Amino acid sequence: MQCKDIELVLEQEGLEPLPEEARAHLAECRDCRNYVADLTSLVDAARKLPSEITPPDRVWISLRAQLVEEGIIKIPAEAPQAESAPFWESISEFFRSRALVTAMVAILIVAATVFQARRDRTAPVAPSVQSAQAGLPPPVQKAAIPEPSEGFDRAARALDDQEPMATGMILASTSPVDISLRDNLKKVNEFIADCEHHLKEQPQDELTREYLSAAYEQKAELLSAMIERGRSVN
Amino acid sequence: MCLQRMENSPAEPRSWVERSILPVLSAGLLLASVAPARAAGAGQHIEKQFNVSGRPVVVIHNVANGRIEVKSWKNKEVDVIGTQTSNKIGFEIEQVGDRVDVTANILDAAAQPLDLESNLQLTVPEETELQLKSETGLIYVEQVTGDMKLESYGGDVHLKEVSGYIIVKTTSGSLVCTQCAGKLDFSSIGGDAQILQPQLNNVNLMTTTGNILFDGDFVRTGLYSMRSGKGLVEVRFSGSDSFDLKAQTATGTVDNQAAAFLKPDSRGVKHIASKFTHGLFGTVGMGLAKVELSSYSGTIRIMKRD
Repeated sequence: MQCKDIELVLEQEGLEPLPEEARAHLAECRDCRNYVADLTSLVDAARKLPSEITPPDRVWISLRAQLVEEGIIKIPAEAPQAESAPFWESISEFFRSRALVTAMVAILIVAATVFQARRDRTAPVAPSVQSAQAGLPPPVQKAAIPEPSEGFDRAARALDDQEPMATGMILASTSPVDISLRDNLKKVNEFIADCEHHLKEQPQDELTREYLSAAYEQKAELLSAMIERGRSVN
Repeated sequence: MCLQRMENSPAEPRSWVERSILPVLSAGLLLASVAPARAAGAGQHIEKQFNVSGRPVVVIHNVANGRIEVKSWKNKEVDVIGTQTSNKIGFEIEQVGDRVDVTANILDAAAQPLDLESNLQLTVPEETELQLKSETGLIYVEQVTGDMKLESYGGDVHLKEVSGYIIVKTTSGSLVCTQCAGKLDFSSIGGDAQILQPQLNNVNLMTTTGNILFDGDFVRTGLYSMRSGKGLVEVRFSGSDSFDLKAQTATGTVDNQAAAFLKPDSRGVKHIASKFTHGLFGTVGMGLAKVELSSYSGTIRIMKRD
């Protein structure tokens, strides 16, 4: 057996068990031994990677609710119960990769927040006929102005769900970047708490809402960065 | 390749030189002559030059600690100099057409921070597009014209005499932009932004806890938006400027030190601040540019330069 045969054997049959001929060649050939040793260490390293993280069911449920609400998916009138698994399981199956899950969750969180914030800001307020006729400025219609927002609440909950996992992934790290990420997450959380507190008192304060929306986006980006960095060192 | 070469004459006895040195030399020559190039070694210095035509795109990702410095020259070449403190970092430098990719990788994840310092110094044609990413080191760009996206977690970004569409994104790093032109987008959580003597016609600055200073002229027809959640937003304009101003804060204060220059809207449009915010509206000159300043709880200061 020659060196190129070893390569072929490894490609077709994997590392073990190697045929007798291959083992005999390895005993004589240092390069091939090094090659096999490299492959073995790669496989060992791959086996040590943590198993994929499955997001909690409520993430899928909330995603589903959001997609239904936005008309992106529709619930069939009579679901064929015998055939199909629950919707979130199929999504879960599809997005097995942790990176995809992470990215999708972060993107959807941000999208949902921004969408909700924009919708809230642009909610039309119909002027009353009476005041239009009288040439008076239309009165503020309380009912037309949305409450400070289910959208915000949903985004906050989703982010809170992700936070323990994201911070846990870099918890032990002493790298300056990870320390900075943790510090900045703390700052953003404080800012969010401040804005939320203010919005409870002044629910119609558009400016604070804009800042809160931007802070949620920043938090989602921070959590994504933490997960990404945690994944790269694990 | 090495395996195939050995297979040609497995039974023939070879000298030690043939068996050991030649393959290594061949591999070394190959790596040195074609991209991607790799280098690693204690205190190593690597330099490479790439010929380019037209406007090159330079992509740098420095995952180690250290600075990225980009300056320009008249040559149609991209010159890359990398230095590193240990062999725990490896550079990958690759040219594909007019794109040059430079990556500093950590080869030993268990290495101490002191061993993970790598600095990159590039000299590029004046018209070059940049995409730079660093972790904690400074990004410095001088006299480069072209669109650029500069990202850093903790490192500062210093730009001098650059122009184009400039996007800067940091977590806690600050931006200092001196004599910049074109369009600027800056977003950060804790970083400050200082815009000095700009010729920018479109500015969008956003920081959650950092401060913002804009010291310079507002270009006519320009659009300027500066927002800080908790920090100070300070604008120093010149007497010859012409802009409409809208300043709003949710719980902070507006410190107007240029009341003598700010007039009510000259076109008769009456602005009213939301009852939930403290606002200031006014016009300087003809009101040709549009300036929007806002904060959540920080101070907004407006003043005229001497």
